[in-house]
Amino acid sequence: MVVLKGPAAEIVTHALGSCIGVTIYDPTTHVGGMLHFMLPDSKINSEKATDNPAMFADTGIPNLFKQAYELGATKENLIVCAAGGAEVLSDGGHFKIGSRNRTVLRKIFWKNNVLLSADDTGGNNSRTLHLSLADGTVTVRHRGKGEVLWPI
Amino acid sequence: MADLNELISGLESLPTLPSTSSRLISMLGDRDVDMGEVSDIVRIDEALSLTVLRYANSAAYGTPGREFNLRESIVRLGSETLLKIVLQLQVGQVVTRSCKAFDMSREAMWRSAIGGAVAAENLARQHCEEDRDICFVAGLLRDVGKLVLDQKFGESYAELVSQHLTPTTTFVDAERQAFGTDHAEVGGALCRHWQLPERIAQAVQFHHCPAVPGEGHDTLVDVVHAADIISLWSGLGLGQDGLQYELAPHVKTALKLSRRKAEREIAAMWAAVRSVEEALGMSKGQSERSAA
Repeated sequence: MVVLKGPAAEIVTHALGSCIGVTIYDPTTHVGGMLHFMLPDSKINSEKATDNPAMFADTGIPNLFKQAYELGATKENLIVCAAGGAEVLSDGGHFKIGSRNRTVLRKIFWKNNVLLSADDTGGNNSRTLHLSLADGTVTVRHRGKGEVLWPI
Repeated sequence: MADLNELISGLESLPTLPSTSSRLISMLGDRDVDMGEVSDIVRIDEALSLTVLRYANSAAYGTPGREFNLRESIVRLGSETLLKIVLQLQVGQVVTRSCKAFDMSREAMWRSAIGGAVAAENLARQHCEEDRDICFVAGLLRDVGKLVLDQKFGESYAELVSQHLTPTTTFVDAERQAFGTDHAEVGGALCRHWQLPERIAQAVQFHHCPAVPGEGHDTLVDVVHAADIISLWSGLGLGQDGLQYELAPHVKTALKLSRRKAEREIAAMWAAVRSVEEALGMSKGQSERSAA
């Protein structure tokens, strides 16, 4: 997880598989951050959640917002995007790691009145997510092609 | 595609496995490894010596306030750990190249190899303890065929394969339709070219299509297959092939792979890769800040 302030910064995360990348950006303060979480629920390993809260949605997402607020971002200004949450072609319908990540992400946002401005989730692609703090542009790259996710 | 041996021998600069690696791999599974032989290999190699020093003095193995010299480090780590470190570095160097054929950076190849190796070793602890070290090496080498295809075809490989991809086609099936072979089969052939044990070659060759229980079945292949899927879920070193693969149903049953167990393995894999990167002193580029 990275949270920064200043228009010159760029944040990137590579190879989102079933993991999800969440970007937040406040255009008035140029505060932006990115979380790359791997799993939905920290209860499976509380020790790892303490060592690395960014690994789980339920511990990483609150931390991402908290750090952005500490740098001067305000909730009403934040532009929130997400990418990732892919699945392998077939796992017997049993594991659904990406789908569970997507569900928990939405649940946490719904509970906290956060709206997703744009998202590119699901499917079987690996994605690279990029956030520019100059203007908040969010880019997703997969299969060698880049697409602007925000602004829409 | 023409004969696989022809493909491999026709390449000008084939990925090369250090001669000592073959010798060390043949020592795997031997619980009475000759400490002297492993130590000799470490002492004459500067990069290996430095790595061993880093490991022995790292947070995981070291003692705060005490710095171990090379001799002490070798004793402290013990033959099994030492053997694994040497293989990790030597085999890791072979697989750590950028791979345009699958749109993977050096870092992605490295993370994928180490992640798969760690997951295979963890699963082996629970299902085939005696093959733990072999699983580690097979996990490390499972995608080495991608490098051969990269040298032969470059970035055009994935482009041509993509033409055969549909939402329900696995990447290996599309590779077979486009080229008559796939990266796993090519990797198996390369392992045989290196004269590695046949079980390792088989695990590499069939890591996307493990045989069902019966004749020809080997738990080692199941373990490497599951480790590969866990690595995909983790997003460790994904490339152009994305997650376009399938988990074999019989492996899910045989390895008692529950959702909870899979999530634990994902968490453990990430932590282990991070710890290896720290021990090896690998750092990320500074031009961009990375969120993972």
